[in-house]
Amino acid sequence: MVLADDRFRPGTFVDAFRFIGDNAHLLLVKTLEHLELSGAALGIALLLALPLGLWLGHRRRGFFFAASVSNVGRALPSLVLIAFGLTILGFGFWNNTAALVVLAIPPILTNAYFAVAGVDRDVVEAARGMGMSERQVLVQVELPLGLPLVVAGIRISAIFVLATATIAAIAGGGGLGEIIVDQASYGLAGVVAGAFCVSALTLLAAILLGLLRRALSPSPVPTA
Amino acid sequence: MYRKHTRRAAKAAYAISLGVALLIGLIACGGAGASPAAKPTVVVGTKNFTEAYVLGELYKQALQAKGYTVKYKQNIGSSELIDTSFRSGKINFYPEYLGILVANIAKLPAPKTAAATLAAARKWEAANRKAVIYNLTPFSDSDSFGMLTSTARKLGVKSIADMKKVKSFTYAGFPECKSRITCLLGLKKFYGLKQAKFVSLGSISVYTLLDQHKITAGDVFSTDPQLQDKSKYTVLKDPKHIFGFQQVAPIAAKSIDSPALRKVVNAVSAKLTLGAMQAMNKAVAIDKQSPAKVAAAFLKANGLS
Amino acid sequence: MSLVAGGPVIPNFGQGSRCEQTNGWWCTDWLHAHWGDTLQPALVQHVELSAIAVGIGFALALVLALAGFRFRLLDAPIGFFADFLYTIPSLALFQLLVPLTGLTVTTVEIALVSYTLLILYRNMIEGLRAVPTDALEAARGMGLTRFQTLVRVELPLAVPAIVAGLRIASVSTISIATVAAFVIPQGLGNPIFIALRQDLFKTEILAAGGLAVALALTADALLALTQRVLTPWSRA
Repeated sequence: MVLADDRFRPGTFVDAFRFIGDNAHLLLVKTLEHLELSGAALGIALLLALPLGLWLGHRRRGFFFAASVSNVGRALPSLVLIAFGLTILGFGFWNNTAALVVLAIPPILTNAYFAVAGVDRDVVEAARGMGMSERQVLVQVELPLGLPLVVAGIRISAIFVLATATIAAIAGGGGLGEIIVDQASYGLAGVVAGAFCVSALTLLAAILLGLLRRALSPSPVPTA
Repeated sequence: MYRKHTRRAAKAAYAISLGVALLIGLIACGGAGASPAAKPTVVVGTKNFTEAYVLGELYKQALQAKGYTVKYKQNIGSSELIDTSFRSGKINFYPEYLGILVANIAKLPAPKTAAATLAAARKWEAANRKAVIYNLTPFSDSDSFGMLTSTARKLGVKSIADMKKVKSFTYAGFPECKSRITCLLGLKKFYGLKQAKFVSLGSISVYTLLDQHKITAGDVFSTDPQLQDKSKYTVLKDPKHIFGFQQVAPIAAKSIDSPALRKVVNAVSAKLTLGAMQAMNKAVAIDKQSPAKVAAAFLKANGLS
Repeated sequence: MSLVAGGPVIPNFGQGSRCEQTNGWWCTDWLHAHWGDTLQPALVQHVELSAIAVGIGFALALVLALAGFRFRLLDAPIGFFADFLYTIPSLALFQLLVPLTGLTVTTVEIALVSYTLLILYRNMIEGLRAVPTDALEAARGMGLTRFQTLVRVELPLAVPAIVAGLRIASVSTISIATVAAFVIPQGLGNPIFIALRQDLFKTEILAAGGLAVALALTADALLALTQRVLTPWSRA
């Protein structure tokens, strides 16, 4: 997929902004497509990974599993996952969604595990001593305390998913990636414009989730 | 004591790895320098499909065998993208489909014969790109309207004109097809197929999309080996001849043109019959050989290497 | 061989195996035939791209981390810029660089180095900051200068964090380097692209993809081992 434009052309950035202005509707449609794919994948990943991670952390089981899943997840190149998805599942909704789900699970799982497992044992014991059931301990004590770390994991997942959804365009995933990989149709200005847009999107998600995490962090206890 | 050992070990490890990394970088940079040759350096560019790779390798290896220094820029893309590269001097040699050149790059009215196509192309090249066109190859390869045989049977179509009765359909092609008179634009203009929805091809081949029933029809090339299986794929007739006369000829910049170069290139072109190209395309696309090896075998068998 | 009067000699290119012709899942004959000309060069290129990126990224990160550590004021902007770059999708970053540095290895390396830099910077600074005050007090008590403290106490104690960062950065770089095939025909992403075009040639996709994953996991394992060797007192 080698493009033909390889001269030093900083003026392209100006053209890119003009492209955004001229093609606002197209970019909006593509952005929504992008969010749709990413949202679906993230949602499924949350459903699968969050309960599992929280439960394992609560039972303090599967430390090795939780730690390694993160390492393995990092070792899966996004392009490879998209290509595998397409090869195994063919064109459709599931090939890209499945690939993105696989990518999104590790950060959510690992962080959920460590968030809950890292809660001060004394606090947990105290809660148990007060007569709380296991589920109440998890939901009312461990989860609130571990929430910042959980959200941090979701934030990392969201960034990965949004980034990889860009590449999913080559396998029929649509979204802003479709513009970024198609210089022949949109010109280098269009490609750069698409790159700007997807970066802005990812940045926005990162900032919003970062703020959420900060909002959920317990305020520091004032020391005497 | 142990901590000191660790610290030293860590420092050593990092220093070594950094050194190795820098060394690799230096070697990579150093290796790029080329020594000047008596013959001009030919920078061969190719388009981005199987036949283009084969053609590129054929000319590249033939030139190298005769002592030319050849730089190879594979996979540049469509004629439009190659035009940019050629004009900026990034490449100075590439095989072109003359009908495409005349209709889409030169944007001249469709010539009525193959000879007229060649004449128009030669005139345009001399005037606009300071280039010359060498001898034609015996084979030609034009775009075609292809679909699954089962689809053609279901829709009851035999010629492109028949497609007018189909309510709506998707047509896939490389991005440049959308604006070409020898492709989608021609289908809409000359056959009135305004209901065609264009699907742009990226990293996926049109045959994959056809096989997975993702598109109704697509832009295929007449020399594609897949088309030899007529039970699977069908090409609709093109009575209005919108796909043009697509003889292939190498185009070389005047700056590298010489009788010697011409001789080497024309010798290769003369051997490229339809049968030869189809065999080579099949070897690459179906039998998964590499274009370089296939080209090498062909040149050797014909005494051109 | 077929011979037409006056025409070219068309050699027998050899028939692809049944597996290749019908796009089987794992054609060992293709693998044997093309290891040397397709997979191995791609693997070597991939290792080169990654190694250079990690090497340069490490050096730059060290300099920046020391600067950010020493001059607190610098940490905020560097850290902010680092986080900002990290959220840009790799493909987008490549395309943003193309108008500046063209379709070259340079573009790819700039992007790869950026990602490596960000991971390593964070880890190095955290590592330096995590040095216990007792150790610093002891160093001061022994009369060490600022520089000596840095070299003899703070950096060595930051080694666990640095190696952990190196591990993450290496694996990430190897992963991201597959995307480099969008810009230059190098690395393991290249055979994947070629195979996608060739009617989703399964063997090539699985082989190149598998190699990329294997490479990343190997790097991870090697660095985990290094971590264990250098810092046996911390859990890997």
